[in-house]
Amino acid sequence: MSEALGRVVATERRPNTPHEFHFWTAIDSPVGIGTIVRVDGTNPVDGQIPHIYGIIVEGFSYTDLQTPMHDVLGHDGLPTTAGYAATDRAEIRLYTAAVLRQMPEEPLQPVPMGQVFLAEEADVQVALRMDSYLRDGSNTGIPIGVYRAGGTEAVIYLDADFLLGPEAAHLNITGVSGLATKTSAVEWLLASMFKHFPEEKGSIAAVCFNVKGPDLCYLDQPGKIEKSDEALYEKLGVEPKPFESVEYFAPYTAKGLALNTFRNNEALLDNVTPLTWGLREVLQFAEVLLNRDDIDAKADALIDFIVQNVVDKEFSDPILSKKHMVQSFADLDAWFRDVLQGMERKDGESWRTHHVATIRKVRNRLSNISTRCAGLVTDSGAVSDLPFGSFEDRTVYVVDVANLEEDAQDLIFARIVSKLREHLERRDLGVKHLVVFVDELNKYAPGDGPDTYVRKMLLDIAERGRYLGLVLFSAQQFRSQVHRRVVGNSGTSLFGRMDPDELSTPGYSVLSPATRTRLATLEKGQLMIRHPHFTQPIFVRFPRPAVMQGREGSERYPQASDVSLEAAILRALRPLDPTITLPWVQEITALYTQDEVLRARNATLLARPDNVKAYFASQFRKIIPAQAAPRPMAGSIKSAPENDPYGF
Amino acid sequence: MLVSNSSPDASSRAAIRMLKEWLPGASEVEGSADLDISARSEQPQLRSAEIIEGSTLRARKVPDVTPGMVSGFGAFLDGAQRVRVIGRDVGVPLVLGTTSAAVRVRVDRRLITWALEPPRVEQKLYLPLRYLPSVAEALRASYGRKYAGNGTTEQVASHLLEAYSRQLQQFEVIDTSTADESGNFPSEHPAVLLERAIRTVDRQRDALEDALAEAWCASAAGPVFIDGGIGRSERVASSANAIGVIKSHFTLYVEGEALKTVVDLTRGERSSVFEVSSRSRNTVLSWYLRLRDPVGHDVFWGLVRIEMSQCDNPTERADEISRWVLAEKSPLALPDGRWDKMSYGIRDCEEFLRAIS
Repeated sequence: MSEALGRVVATERRPNTPHEFHFWTAIDSPVGIGTIVRVDGTNPVDGQIPHIYGIIVEGFSYTDLQTPMHDVLGHDGLPTTAGYAATDRAEIRLYTAAVLRQMPEEPLQPVPMGQVFLAEEADVQVALRMDSYLRDGSNTGIPIGVYRAGGTEAVIYLDADFLLGPEAAHLNITGVSGLATKTSAVEWLLASMFKHFPEEKGSIAAVCFNVKGPDLCYLDQPGKIEKSDEALYEKLGVEPKPFESVEYFAPYTAKGLALNTFRNNEALLDNVTPLTWGLREVLQFAEVLLNRDDIDAKADALIDFIVQNVVDKEFSDPILSKKHMVQSFADLDAWFRDVLQGMERKDGESWRTHHVATIRKVRNRLSNISTRCAGLVTDSGAVSDLPFGSFEDRTVYVVDVANLEEDAQDLIFARIVSKLREHLERRDLGVKHLVVFVDELNKYAPGDGPDTYVRKMLLDIAERGRYLGLVLFSAQQFRSQVHRRVVGNSGTSLFGRMDPDELSTPGYSVLSPATRTRLATLEKGQLMIRHPHFTQPIFVRFPRPAVMQGREGSERYPQASDVSLEAAILRALRPLDPTITLPWVQEITALYTQDEVLRARNATLLARPDNVKAYFASQFRKIIPAQAAPRPMAGSIKSAPENDPYGF
Repeated sequence: MLVSNSSPDASSRAAIRMLKEWLPGASEVEGSADLDISARSEQPQLRSAEIIEGSTLRARKVPDVTPGMVSGFGAFLDGAQRVRVIGRDVGVPLVLGTTSAAVRVRVDRRLITWALEPPRVEQKLYLPLRYLPSVAEALRASYGRKYAGNGTTEQVASHLLEAYSRQLQQFEVIDTSTADESGNFPSEHPAVLLERAIRTVDRQRDALEDALAEAWCASAAGPVFIDGGIGRSERVASSANAIGVIKSHFTLYVEGEALKTVVDLTRGERSSVFEVSSRSRNTVLSWYLRLRDPVGHDVFWGLVRIEMSQCDNPTERADEISRWVLAEKSPLALPDGRWDKMSYGIRDCEEFLRAIS
């Protein structure tokens, strides 16, 4: 057993309670804010010597100096002479600790006087109640980091049942931008979960929305790991290597030539799949793209009519000039045009109870979508989507929406999460547990502002997702500005370095001033953790993720610049068939429009056929190449009879 | 020497409870508190002393006094006492006295308790057994037969006291009604008995301090700053490592012009070295030193008298020790009222003793 480092003290003015106690230490004692200590009582309670575990939340230091003036007088007002004093004043290091656990837990009494010891690794497990879920045979611990203090190094585990459900779920990370703490923490935690999530609890995967920068774009590429991080990885039982299975999804740019992602370098395209949706996929979530003024009851009724009766169905009506089969935005626009022309012919103001103004308004709004979400929404109706139904265990699916307009981001988020939810409800997603990581929660689920579709969805996940296996990992810079029900439903909260202004908000008033100060000065790689098993926040250090960081990745794999149509096709198809060359592409596509060429590319990428060349070529309509017409033979000009006065 | 006041404590209550078993008629003193015995010192007096540094006592500027001068003291020694009248038995004061002493060693500019000799704390009952016949009778009834016929009456009494103390477990009893050097017993006047008890407690504290000082000198661990004189113990008085610093000046070892010289000492000045000797104390060398500027204060402001053992080079030694004492001016011993003369190390001793006793 280590030597005592302090003694519990209590006075009438500053008594100990069942939840807080005070102790002093030597001046050079290796303790500080966040250090876990153990108090050994001296008098048995019910025949058992009490052990109290606490975490230091406040520290005080003072000398026997009664007023600062005495020090001034003592040094004749000259600070430079202070160092000459033969003796340093008697000084105290007095700490306040919040109780983590009392053993025995009943009866719950004020902390007794006793010696204070630095908590060892076994003590930390007991103090944080980790012993209840780290038992052999029922170990549900997920390493989150290493607690370090005064020579003690203890792995801190989260309880999988309380991180991924069903007991509690969800995780929220707060921290200032720029330190990469939030993204790094999630990357590390996903790696740890994939390694330590108990096999018997089923499969697990993650869907990460990359909403800004290239941070999540190189999860399958190895990053730089320092020696100190290697030691942490070894201690935490995780191999320092990038994710083995990562799938990327990104829509095209507005021009449709290249994928709209930081990861569109040709060397990395093998696991990048285009994300394109057609009319049906978008109309289901039209509410996401239309504001409140757009979707009044009348417009909503018309949209519902179109979804129910028009899309993907053969539709005919007396006022229409022909039968319509609406499968794309182009078809829909033609349908609208026909309806409006029919109404004009009849000089009628309404059609099937829908007023002409409503029809024009809905047409305007819906037709606009393909423009606003160009690259994601295809006129053709071609769909390239996440592999709903065949999600794979321990796989990360990254949806890169960083370069998209806000509307498109909202649409992607809403539709993907809805689909994930549907599949999880039906238990046919492919995995049993799914983590959805969303950054910038300040933007997507703000505490104030309009009640958007996305915010409603996030609230729904936060409140009911854990029953489905749908777990929200969310991050933001200002936790105080996120909807309370989202962060409130997060069983686990991580805090990186915090902005002092944010720390001054009421939500942090439960933390001591010293803890808040430490939060404001946390180094990169340090976190404060709140978890249902921990009665007080704990500070840990986690290793740098073993994946390539965004800045390094974007330097090593520069984003592809805009290229010609043929080069774009070559770049898209060559990962499927390396024998494809630019001359071949130019020859095949020479006669066709850009839309036709892109449609053929999309179809090929979606089908991923064995014979890429043949499949790609088969997507084009037959066109007989133009040939020069043979020059007609010029007839011989008869010479006029000499005796023919008319020249015949 | 520390004199403190505090509210009745558990020790007082325990002591009176035990005493009442032997003295059923004793009454508890309500709200008993520590006596302020600082005003009960000896009467102010002037004494002549033999000047050994020159022929007349004069003021000398302590040489080489600089802000960065280093103190040679490695430790500080002080004692403390608390006297409390916890009860009365027909006017006879029942006194509980607590004495303590400690050496605080300076390590890396911080003061810690000397490990070789732990601090001493003693809590005893000071009773005039001559005027508490029931206690004496009880003692004899319980233990007298055992010692009857063995040794002198004094020895028997000593055994009885020891046994009695064991019975009381926590508190040793000191008889304060023994005859003085002239063979006279104290009168039954309560004030006289109380004064006897206080002086006995004083001697007990002196004994604790002397024991620690002797242990320090025997250890040859370097110079120790002793609060008070060093002449009581021969071993201490003859040790070059024991330096006594006296803050009170009820006895001034100067007369006439010499007195004026001492009173007029300015900051950083010392008097000539003189010899202090008396029948009851060992001979030591001494001088006065002004620590702080007395302008605007009383004549004793910042004035201390320093004692050291006799030596061959009293001038150099007095200068060196004076520099050490001057170096101990900082940090200030505030908020103690005697901070103008008290070194911080001695205040630390007192605070330490207050904490443990």
